[in-house]
Amino acid sequence: MTPTAERAPGQGYPAPWLIPAVAVLATFYAVPVLDVTRLAFSDATLIQPASGFSTVALRSILTDPALPQVLGTTLVFVAVNVAVLQLAGLAIALLIVRGERRELPGMAAFRTLVLAAWVVPGIANGLIWGMLFDEAPYGTLNSLLAYAGLGPVAWLSDPQMALVSAVIANVWQGTAFSMIVFYAARRGIDPVLYEVAELDAAGPWRTFRSITLPLMRRAIAVNSVLVSVQTLNTFDSILALTGGGPGRATEVLSLFTFNTVFYNLDLAGGSVLAVLLFAIGMGLTILIGWLGRDRT
Amino acid sequence: MSARWGDVATYAVLAVLAVFFAVPFAWLVSLAVRTPAEIYLGAARFIPETPTLDNFRTILSDPAFLIYLWNGLKLSALGGALAVVLAIPAAYACARVPFRGRQVVLVGLLAVQMISPLVILVPLYRWMNALDLLNRDVSVIAVYGALGMPLAVWLLKVAFDAIPIELEEAASIDGASRPVILMRIVLPLARSGIASAFILAMVMNWSQFLIPFILLERDGDWPISVAIFNFAGSVSASTTQLLAAACLVAVMPAVLVFILLQRMIVSALIGGAVKG
Repeated sequence: MTPTAERAPGQGYPAPWLIPAVAVLATFYAVPVLDVTRLAFSDATLIQPASGFSTVALRSILTDPALPQVLGTTLVFVAVNVAVLQLAGLAIALLIVRGERRELPGMAAFRTLVLAAWVVPGIANGLIWGMLFDEAPYGTLNSLLAYAGLGPVAWLSDPQMALVSAVIANVWQGTAFSMIVFYAARRGIDPVLYEVAELDAAGPWRTFRSITLPLMRRAIAVNSVLVSVQTLNTFDSILALTGGGPGRATEVLSLFTFNTVFYNLDLAGGSVLAVLLFAIGMGLTILIGWLGRDRT
Repeated sequence: MSARWGDVATYAVLAVLAVFFAVPFAWLVSLAVRTPAEIYLGAARFIPETPTLDNFRTILSDPAFLIYLWNGLKLSALGGALAVVLAIPAAYACARVPFRGRQVVLVGLLAVQMISPLVILVPLYRWMNALDLLNRDVSVIAVYGALGMPLAVWLLKVAFDAIPIELEEAASIDGASRPVILMRIVLPLARSGIASAFILAMVMNWSQFLIPFILLERDGDWPISVAIFNFAGSVSASTTQLLAAACLVAVMPAVLVFILLQRMIVSALIGGAVKG
């Protein structure tokens, strides 16, 4: 009889069980984050090691005239996406729950369609939307608009329109995540509340305002942060759609970081940007913890 | 009566949204079965007069393309399996071993998911280079394992929580040790949860672009996600139909797996979302 065998399940020492996970977290997350911070204060390039402490990279990145523009684009891209993704996700989740309650056919098929867009690889997403936004007269959307006597629209060559196009492509792919979160949250609400509301002859809007929205507030708060960070980290679909152009019109922070490290081979500068990306992401994540703790 | 109007409104809104979500897929299929000449006809040929599978034939008869698909499958599957294997002990501890700091571990796992792979890839590239692991599948698989592990822990914890603890208590009284209980009772009972976690990790790996793009430099090692990006750089308007066919081939495996196993995966995700 070993001591292990005498302990009932539900008790014991967690440490041995946690070793693999902790080792992975340390090797692939904690140490790299520290290392990238160290590199940010060095003069390393992708092919040459750091020769010492330096703030040259930090200063050159912070004074780079491109940075304010990139941060502005990132802010707009993230803010608009977060608003649209959540409105769309919430609307779809509530409509599907309603449809399921009324036993309307087609709800599962619709949910499948939204989820199918979610699993499309980011690169393929950019390429597919690139074909749809093709500005030639035979391009998909422009030839459709021509039927309605509209357009053509400079989907990708106009700086402002290009950002709108990038948002559309991201919304197409990203809505499913918010839909799942809100669907789960809505299903978690006690149906009795809705029965009471119905007895009180509360209309759909009143029910939404007084029951659904308050009880989903925490899910919405947490989801806002998750979606912001996901959007902040998105760059492969933009890379494939516009490559950051025209000019820098759609170059968000993550794409700028990618270009700095892997195209300009400026490792130290890229590390500064990576640290910035990390800091913004973590700031938002700490916000989750705070929002989650607020209302238990 | 008002409920009927509500149904009509539900369908009306969902129909508009369905068009938005369906058009890119429909158009991709439409472009992929066109002849080069029909590409120039735009929306007028949404349904081509003579749909052709030639584009798929061209793509799939290229041995390099089959290698890209195989590479994608191999890297995704091994990376997903690694993520699940790494996640099982921690998920079991979080489900069954009460300890202080359990919540910290779970929240910590959620927090590292917020870190962009871009941030950690810079040092990882240098280490892999120093260890001479660049251009080796094992480097990509290791990173996939690390990236997939946190979500797998969450999904597996939910799956383990659902198993009646009495079964484990009975086994424990019979003298079974913890690892034996895990192997003989918990894992077999949690197989649908394990399968969901594995498939989800695999689908995410299939979509990964950054990791293989940076860590694998040789054309022949690339998975499909990197290959189509490279291919897109070389196409012109006259080969749009080939790019569409290539995209479709790259997208279909993930979409099909997801549709077929949707019920299982979505319920696992919803379970995770409720707990989270």
